[in-house]
Amino acid sequence: MSFEDSEGTPIAGDLADGSPAAAAGPELTTRPAPPPGASEEEYANHSYKVYPSGRRNVVEFDNTYKSFGRNQILRGLTMGIPEGMVSMILGPSGTGKSVCIKHMVGLLYPDSGDVRVQGESVPDMPDEQLFEMRKKFGLLFQDGALFSSMNLYDNVAFPLRQHTEKSEQEIEEIVMRRLTEVGLGYSRDKLPNELSGGMRKRAGFARALVLEPDILLFDEPDSGLDPVRTALLGELILEIHREMMEDAKAQKKPYLPTFAVVTHDIMSARRVADYINVLWRGRIVEAGPAQDMLNSDNPFIRQFLAGESQGPLTMD
Amino acid sequence: MATTAVDRVFAPTRGVLQEAGEMMILTGRTIVSAVKPPYPYGAEFVGQFMFALRLCWFPLLVSTVAFGYEAPGLQAANFLVLFGALDRLGGFFVLASIREFAPFVDAIVLAGVAGTAITADLGARRIREELDALEVLGVDPIKNLVVPRFLALMLVTGLFDIYALLFGVFGGVLATLVNHQPLGPFWATFFNNASTTDLWGSVVKTTLFGAIIAVVCCYKGMTAKGGAEGVGRAVNEAVVIAFLAIFAFNYVFTQVLLATHPALTDIVK
Repeated sequence: MSFEDSEGTPIAGDLADGSPAAAAGPELTTRPAPPPGASEEEYANHSYKVYPSGRRNVVEFDNTYKSFGRNQILRGLTMGIPEGMVSMILGPSGTGKSVCIKHMVGLLYPDSGDVRVQGESVPDMPDEQLFEMRKKFGLLFQDGALFSSMNLYDNVAFPLRQHTEKSEQEIEEIVMRRLTEVGLGYSRDKLPNELSGGMRKRAGFARALVLEPDILLFDEPDSGLDPVRTALLGELILEIHREMMEDAKAQKKPYLPTFAVVTHDIMSARRVADYINVLWRGRIVEAGPAQDMLNSDNPFIRQFLAGESQGPLTMD
Repeated sequence: MATTAVDRVFAPTRGVLQEAGEMMILTGRTIVSAVKPPYPYGAEFVGQFMFALRLCWFPLLVSTVAFGYEAPGLQAANFLVLFGALDRLGGFFVLASIREFAPFVDAIVLAGVAGTAITADLGARRIREELDALEVLGVDPIKNLVVPRFLALMLVTGLFDIYALLFGVFGGVLATLVNHQPLGPFWATFFNNASTTDLWGSVVKTTLFGAIIAVVCCYKGMTAKGGAEGVGRAVNEAVVIAFLAIFAFNYVFTQVLLATHPALTDIVK
């Protein structure tokens, strides 16, 4: 929350784009029924409140269901990721956070419901359009997902070589700028298996950045990192977001850069998030700008954001 | 309870059918993707082709010579010697080696050596989310990974069939010599029975074996899940399925070939 764009007080309903976040407001009039096979009791703590962000949503989930075998992961998920903000998708382990990300980029398809990116439905896209759409995304995988047969430099240069007509010299300039930004300028010739987990993540970050995507997704960037490294990575995320916001404004891009971070680490959420979606049992418990969420009186949110053992969330 | 009993019987079957169906779909998508432009897989194709060649030439040489010498060679020779008809070994080698053993050994070595390498490689990439990363970076894994492996394995297995034939027949030559017989009658009965249909049948068959191995091994690699253990399981399943598919396909192909070319079944003296 260190830059002005996220600090501006959201004005409820100032965007009439019909997105759930803008339209619903904090008070919900009709409460959605629990998903098939679940009791109202299990969803008693889901207040489904959405505090207005004052921005349009670039990614929207609309009553999305997804199950793997008997495992129901998304159970009527309705969620928005507001434009130009660093959003967090927070939730206990195994609530379908990573599955959410895979739905956004079309690696998974919902059983029912819809996922829209910049207003267009992802499940309805033909393959060619899907590949085009994915260029708007940068995705940082849990372990970086670097190509093990290529060195760091080639890994980061890969998207540029694949999708642009840039000369090797231009590519080198961009790649080295990004590698230096994430602090890996000196290890450009190393292979991924010669790097530590944290370095692989940062390299994955650099690769996700080179095409200057509209939307950057982070799949548990803090997993397997110590608290200091996690804090540093959080700072790096904020810094790069700020820089991309400035660039996007200068270039008058149609969409402001949006970051979405999936995590269960509350500390980094407190430090980094402008907007928080709290996910539990395949649905949003509450969502809204970080301040509203930290002041929320929902018992689940209070328990989860404070990291306490007492509360609605138990081991089972 | 009736439904659960039915479920228990049919649930595993459904899994098998689903997998078979998905492999069919993968085959279809691979063929379409191979034909439809663009063609970015040239370098990967050459790489995979050379990789399979390098990996398989020696195991295949040893297997075909040893197998050809022992199974159809010595065993048949021991039997034919009883009738004083060792000269017929050449004719028998057309049936045994060209039609069955050489394609078989070829396919088994290719599946066991190159196929497992493919499954392990793709499986590891799946586990490390490299395949997801490729897709998100706008690269179609079917076009860029499956198609070149599919084409390379088809070509390699087809070409290696000729290699396996030569060394398999060499095993027969060895068996004849070990029995202190001249080679003239061996070659005479061999060429009396050999036909070009046998040769192209054998090559086409092994080319299709290559396609089966590639699809099964790519499918198993790309759908591996459950960490390092899952990759091991995928490799194991890939070999088993590839062998079963090859055996079944061999039966169908060879019988269809014999039925449509009845001249092949006439044994010439």
